[in-house]
Amino acid sequence: MDMDGMPDEDSLIERMAPGVLSRDGFHCADRRQLDAILQADAAAERASALTHEAIGRRLEQILQAAVAALGRPVEVAGALTACYHESMGRIPCPWGECGLFAKGEVELTDTRNNKTVRFTPLSVHMIYRHGFYQGPGSRYRIEPTEIVELLDIKPDEG
Amino acid sequence: MSVGKGCQRPRFFVFLCFFVVVLCVRGISNQTPGRVSKAVEQVGCGFSRGSSVYRTIDINHGARRLTVAEGQSVFEALKGEGIFLPSVCGGRGLCGRCRLRVFNGDWPITPAEQRKCTADELTEGIRLGCQLPVNADVSIEIPEELFATKQFRGTIEAISNLTHDIKHLRIRLSEPERIEFTPGQHIELAVPVYAGSPKPVSRAYSLASTPGCDRGIELMIRFVPGGIASTWVFTVLKVGDELSFNGPYGSFGLSRSDREMIWVAGGSGMSPFWSMIRHMKQIGLGRECTYFFGAVQRRDLFLLDEFRRLEDELDWFSFVPALSAPAAEDNWSGQTGLITEVLERRTIGENCEAYLCGSPGMIGAAVKVLRSHGITEDRTFYDEFE
Repeated sequence: MDMDGMPDEDSLIERMAPGVLSRDGFHCADRRQLDAILQADAAAERASALTHEAIGRRLEQILQAAVAALGRPVEVAGALTACYHESMGRIPCPWGECGLFAKGEVELTDTRNNKTVRFTPLSVHMIYRHGFYQGPGSRYRIEPTEIVELLDIKPDEG
Repeated sequence: MSVGKGCQRPRFFVFLCFFVVVLCVRGISNQTPGRVSKAVEQVGCGFSRGSSVYRTIDINHGARRLTVAEGQSVFEALKGEGIFLPSVCGGRGLCGRCRLRVFNGDWPITPAEQRKCTADELTEGIRLGCQLPVNADVSIEIPEELFATKQFRGTIEAISNLTHDIKHLRIRLSEPERIEFTPGQHIELAVPVYAGSPKPVSRAYSLASTPGCDRGIELMIRFVPGGIASTWVFTVLKVGDELSFNGPYGSFGLSRSDREMIWVAGGSGMSPFWSMIRHMKQIGLGRECTYFFGAVQRRDLFLLDEFRRLEDELDWFSFVPALSAPAAEDNWSGQTGLITEVLERRTIGENCEAYLCGSPGMIGAAVKVLRSHGITEDRTFYDEFE
């Protein structure tokens, strides 16, 4: 840990590895890859004139609606439905300073084409707080441009 | 050699033996009754043996006194002496469950403790055992129940599917052969290193068996996508495999009152209630009880026949399963809606006690309904999926 309580780079990367906090990890093998993911996703946010906070806030609204429905699919916007699948346990953020997050996942489905995006309470937190959308290949990787388009998030929401 | 001198040698030897025995007895008497720590020469301040320096941990005002080597955390030191603080992160400062109260010393507060403990807690001496280094004598307080926790070893006797994503495990205990617990308590299952999971972890699961269950325990484990423990259970664990766990932990369980009870659960929240109802039947405890169990579709329900049989046998027990989104092919004629909606439709007496087990969302929603029925906080007990 550094003086601000943020993990040093080694600790952060170690916690993102498979089998440390989750079986598959966060698909981010080293600091260079983490920097590349963060920069690429930040560029995508800028191209949409949005911030990761704005995207995170919108995902949080969907998460809350889905959690409140206790496993029953709920319409969240137009043709989108969200269903929260609860799981036992909580998981800490790899950054380490942010508390524990329920392990359930939201399945967000576009009923027009049955395309599905999955995210967890931790995913939402990492997007909102750290601008981290997880590495390529992760079950919970979210493409910023795709989620902005899917949820029709407007720049003025930022 | 004179006779006189010859007689003095045995006398000196007897004195030497007596001196050694006194030293040993003094050392042992400073330990907990029935338990002798690894190294005892001096209590009250550090001492060294070989290259190691030893310190004293006084627990609960002298209820236990341990002498342990420096260079480890209090969490590790207690574990080494058979006292298992709760932890799901293995002592890495991530879960915040290994809390204890410290009465002396001046250990710097770590960033992990700043995150996991409130300012008030830190002022009151609440710290994380995994963050406290053993580098001075320390006096601590831990929940009394932790003295009863042990490490258990056992073998998987049976694994079966309760639903498409919940497995039932029966574990035969080998060492010790029996576990004492109250229905509602949980254990921490040790998950070893396996392919794709390079570090051992532990995870908490409610006991589904009854205390009288001979030499075994039962667990209900739901699959968590990407979960280290549930992936191990679902893809690696097989009958005959050996495993270990610590426990029992937790204070969730039946109160001593005779009030009517409302039970509310969903998914693997079934575990403690499956333990409780069978235990109540075994000991002849006939408290009025209605059990509301919520699921999404028919495929998420389990133990229906068993609960129906219990309903027939026990005139004080009712079982109310409900589906929130039944599929057409479910042909479901029972209650529908969220379990909290079903609860809302029922008449619930103000004097009831409520017991809840499930996700924080379900518990939060159920608590709101219960409050509207006049069931107060002191009569609401819950086991949140931690």
